[in-house]
Amino acid sequence: MEELLPLFLIFMKVNLLSTSGPASVGLLYHEVVGKWVTEAQFVQAVGLSSVLPGSDALQLAMYIGYTVAGIPGGLVALLASILPPTVIILGVTMILHRLRREAWVSNFVEGLAPAITVLMLFTAWKIFQKGGATGWEGWTIGILSLISMLLKVPERIVVIIAALVGVFFLS
Amino acid sequence: MNQSKFEVWLGLLWMFLKVNMLSPSGPASIGLLYKEAVGKIMTEAQFVEAVGFSNVLPGSEALKLAMFVGFAAGGIPGVFTALLGAILPPTVLMFVVAAMLQRFQHEDWLNGFVAGLSPAVAALIVVVAWELFRASTRQKIDRRAWFIAGLSALALWSAMPSPMVLLGAGILGVILYGQRS
Repeated sequence: MEELLPLFLIFMKVNLLSTSGPASVGLLYHEVVGKWVTEAQFVQAVGLSSVLPGSDALQLAMYIGYTVAGIPGGLVALLASILPPTVIILGVTMILHRLRREAWVSNFVEGLAPAITVLMLFTAWKIFQKGGATGWEGWTIGILSLISMLLKVPERIVVIIAALVGVFFLS
Repeated sequence: MNQSKFEVWLGLLWMFLKVNMLSPSGPASIGLLYKEAVGKIMTEAQFVEAVGFSNVLPGSEALKLAMFVGFAAGGIPGVFTALLGAILPPTVLMFVVAAMLQRFQHEDWLNGFVAGLSPAVAALIVVVAWELFRASTRQKIDRRAWFIAGLSALALWSAMPSPMVLLGAGILGVILYGQRS
């Protein structure tokens, strides 16, 4: 039970500091891996949330919440992820035209973007390194995945194939 | 509008359930939502504005977009209806899958599953990071963006806590980009 409050605060923080679902992966990794979930569980969470239909950020949050504290944990993570954008939207729809003139908000976000990108690259590298397959198998899967995603193969198909390759050849 | 309010809400709920069942991620839902909402609920200009705002404000952008569309269709109750429709499918699915996977946590094949998944997930993050970098700067990637990126890399390299890095980058953005106008 005492996990629920820290869980709530972490997801509030992550959702206030990232502008979109996918961007929250990097920050979330640094906040939860080692403390709440293992490396392997985090990779599962990212993989699954990109395969299942629906918002992947929410699914990622719920999976981690669930791993930490069962169904209540999942619901707390969901609530904390939803609350900041909801409050902001309700506020913005009322003062929409005022906010547009507040250039500092968009400047703040514009500064945020490169930092989030770098953070995500760091995260990607860490996940790759600790994922277990860093030999030629890992590089092959990683590079092939990268190429196919750049060629616009749907992400969920790439992820599913990579996981199947792992099940059949790496276990 | 000669529909009752109740019908508007029901239509909204169904629309968002549909969009969220069919799209694998937030950004992917934008295209689907466009087809469902533009012309019926809001104009194209309104939709573009909603997408713009969703990208700028903190939090999951798919949710924010859903709420904007909900607001245009049915005011504050519309916002909550859209939220419900967007949340329900991923929540139910995730709990089912998470519960199943917990059972398998110590099976052998799951190790292989994770080993295969890791490089693909890493690649996925790289692709998303690149798209984010390209999409979020206003015109083109300029020197200021590279400067912030380099500084962030340095800070992360020296094990600075990542929320601090992001906060600093945001403040740097206010300073650097504020001088333009």
